[in-house]
Amino acid sequence: MEQIVFALLNGVIYGLLLFMVSAGLTLIFGMMGVLNFAHASFYMVGAYLAYTLQPVTGFWLAIILAPLLVAGLGIFVERFVLRRVHAYGHAHELLVTFGLSVVIAEVIKMFYGNFPVDYSVPSDLNFSAFALGGMEYPFYRLFMGGVAVVMFAVLYLMLTRTRVGIVVRAAIYRPRMVEALGHNVPMVFMAIFGIGAFLAGLAGAIAGAFYTTNPNMALELGVVVFVVVVVGGLGSMEGAMLASIIIGVMNSLAVGVNVSLADVLARVGLGDWARETGGILTLQLSSLAATLPFFLMLLVLLVRPSGLLGEKE
Amino acid sequence: MLKKLVAVIAVLALLLALPALLSESMLNASVQMLIAALFATAFALLCGQAGMLSFGHAAYFGLGAFATVHAMNAFGGDGLLPTPLMPLAGAAIGLISGLGAGYFSTQRTGTYFAMITLALAELLHALAPHLKEVFGGEAGISSFRMPAWGFEFGSTIEIYYLVLGWTVLCIALLWGLTLTPFGRLVLGLRENSHRLKFLGYNTHALGTFVFALSAAFAGVAGALQALNIEAANYVVLETQVSTAVLLNTFIGGAKVFFGPAIGAAAMTFFGHVTSDLTRSWLLYQGIIFMLVMMYLPRGIVGEILARFRGEGGAVNPVAVLARFAGILVAAAGFVMAIELTQRFFSTDYKAARQAGGWPAVEFAGHMWAPFAPLTWALPIVLIAAGLGLVTFINRREARRQEAQI
Amino acid sequence: MSRDILVLDHLCKSFGPVEVTRDVNLVIREGERHALIGPNGAGKSTLFHLISGNYKPTSGSIRLDGDEIGGLDPARVNRRGLARSFQITNIFSGLSVAENLRLAVMRRYGLQFNFWRRVTHLRRVNAEVDDLLQKIRLTAKARSIAGDLPYSDQRSLEIGMTLASDPKVILLDEPMAGMSHEETEYTTDLIRDITAGRTLMIVEHDMDVIFTLADRITVLVYGEIIATGTPQQIRESARVKEAYLGEEAG
Repeated sequence: MEQIVFALLNGVIYGLLLFMVSAGLTLIFGMMGVLNFAHASFYMVGAYLAYTLQPVTGFWLAIILAPLLVAGLGIFVERFVLRRVHAYGHAHELLVTFGLSVVIAEVIKMFYGNFPVDYSVPSDLNFSAFALGGMEYPFYRLFMGGVAVVMFAVLYLMLTRTRVGIVVRAAIYRPRMVEALGHNVPMVFMAIFGIGAFLAGLAGAIAGAFYTTNPNMALELGVVVFVVVVVGGLGSMEGAMLASIIIGVMNSLAVGVNVSLADVLARVGLGDWARETGGILTLQLSSLAATLPFFLMLLVLLVRPSGLLGEKE
Repeated sequence: MLKKLVAVIAVLALLLALPALLSESMLNASVQMLIAALFATAFALLCGQAGMLSFGHAAYFGLGAFATVHAMNAFGGDGLLPTPLMPLAGAAIGLISGLGAGYFSTQRTGTYFAMITLALAELLHALAPHLKEVFGGEAGISSFRMPAWGFEFGSTIEIYYLVLGWTVLCIALLWGLTLTPFGRLVLGLRENSHRLKFLGYNTHALGTFVFALSAAFAGVAGALQALNIEAANYVVLETQVSTAVLLNTFIGGAKVFFGPAIGAAAMTFFGHVTSDLTRSWLLYQGIIFMLVMMYLPRGIVGEILARFRGEGGAVNPVAVLARFAGILVAAAGFVMAIELTQRFFSTDYKAARQAGGWPAVEFAGHMWAPFAPLTWALPIVLIAAGLGLVTFINRREARRQEAQI
Repeated sequence: MSRDILVLDHLCKSFGPVEVTRDVNLVIREGERHALIGPNGAGKSTLFHLISGNYKPTSGSIRLDGDEIGGLDPARVNRRGLARSFQITNIFSGLSVAENLRLAVMRRYGLQFNFWRRVTHLRRVNAEVDDLLQKIRLTAKARSIAGDLPYSDQRSLEIGMTLASDPKVILLDEPMAGMSHEETEYTTDLIRDITAGRTLMIVEHDMDVIFTLADRITVLVYGEIIATGTPQQIRESARVKEAYLGEEAG
């Protein structure tokens, strides 16, 4: 029972983290039609910058400064790279951001080496928040979840309650119209790109300390984030939220389940056949946890190709 | 037409003569170049001609390699097919897996399609370590080439000719495909799949099939790789393989037929010659890719062909040479900056510093100290001078063109 | 009396709670040129999307030459013998004019999955392409890239491609949209010329075009047909004047 509670909690928090990255991606896609392949790279840069700044500035300042620097990087990329290739179409923009993700990963490897760096939770945050049935729950996980929730509250209020937010939401649907009304749409685009990068950088700065910080983290997370947006429906913020949580919970629950297809087939009397066949049939669900999001994606594509909350094409 | 024919014959003759001209190591590199060229051409059928961007072509390349290794090991090592026909196993598995993957991924278009291909490849990559019987775990699966048709297939030269034969055959088939009704429909799919539907075509079937064909030829490339190294390891399923073919294809030019092959061969060649000199080849490749995408959107071969066709006005050879010189100078400065940075941040340097102080590092035959002004001033001056020259020429050319109008 | 080629029977389409097409009953006779007019938002385009398979009807039926085509996908509708053009030019911009037409013609020869014949050697297909080029008066520009053509030529190509599948019924969606007066006259002439003896359904805003081109006219207002008849009858219909022409005149 405690295990399930813990797994659920872990899953939700991981889901919130996924959402911090996929929210920026969705925001940028919804607004500019650009799928920013390098978005998860911003997450990685956030983690590495926070790791670098931490000894100098301390943990708290590091996790504020790192995302700000990442936002600066995002703005630079939008202004000097994406805007240049905008005329060649969305596929071209996707390719350029793909190239950028390669370059960022290689630059990280150049400075920090192709191995994990020692970025860990500061000792004064490394305590247990509560204990349940003899198992302790790390405070830092709750902290990550808390930061994510606060971030969304701020973002939500900004988008719904402020003038800027109204312009941004209008620009998502009718960029030309908004431009005609005298708003500086390129400026808005740049700001949105910055905010998206900030969110990803913040997620990286905070999560990097808990999970591992290595040059592959962008790709590993990036692929899951892409699955999130396909499952949720590209451009749908609610869809991204829902899919993030589903995938987070699914992952963390699956890790604890030691059941294979053969065990399931044994119920209908095919257990021996399945065990003899081996291969995928005898794999434990726990070891397949990393592949579950992909299966979910295939299922969604079959049943509802536009995504859970996506609009029909 | 005649010119093209002469060019093709000349290239073929050169390729046939290569073993007599090259060292063992360069011949090995040539085998790699041929495989990369075939892989890129197969990839470009999908992403260049059909306009469907795949981020997961490693899957079909890798499956082709594994299928071939299994086919070589079949019947207690006698092999399912004679050695020269082994790539058929790669083609078959590529076609079958491509039909399945294509069916799913072509449900959607554009960005979605790209993400689905990536996810499918990652799914395979994540599953592979768990399926030891098929993918051999950490060690991979190794195999031996059996003699067939009077050849031993033991030497690099024999392998070179085998790979050359398959590469030329496959590229010729892919070229032939562009001349057929199906080939033209593939272009229609890229240009406007919506309109194709209203002309009565089943675009999902077309998309699935072009995906499968591209995967089949990628499978052949994977098979050749497996034949060459007599092994397959799930490293071939990694994202880097998909990345490399994508970068190569677009650097060359995805929409011109020989662009991807030339791009892939050139990149593989540079990768080979620089492998002893730098650890940052992938970084350079990424930067070259980004620069090409930003400044030469049709790819290097594509832009050169466009100039030959007379697009962009008359070419001023002096300006071209001056620009080229400027780019070379800037590139030299840039390479120097990257290489020095790389050396100062390497683990070797950290070890060297254990002895105390800040020792100098070697680059291009000289020693450079980390805090000597010249160490950083030289690359900066080179970059500034090179870019300055290019900007100067660009402005002058622009003024000249304005004056002509 | 010619036979009924396209029959819409109690056709309805709603998007959520919004009814865009309301109980449309319409019979198109073989060989006639039938115009569909109505104010903006009357549902003309929706009706075309329903007939051509872009949308699925909520209820009712669409019969082409006696066969039900309502709800079929666009490719199947086309293969049953109904082709359409688009309001916004919808061509293969990166390919040559001849290639555009060839793609349009090829389908009828079952050349979708053909990997062994050279397109340049498809004698009958290419003869048909040449013929079409002549009809749409673009023979001289056969090798030009379609996207580089002037606007009115692109519209001609659009019509040519629609014609290429040799359909029983042709739907033209605002073929003169965005054209100058001269271009409109030229295209009207072209349409009359190349659709001779065929069944044509056309949506157009230019009333001069409609009244010179159409044999019969149907007026659609708020998704409903309020009148169908000869140009003369439509001109004189009090209901049409009130609902539609009156608005224009006022």
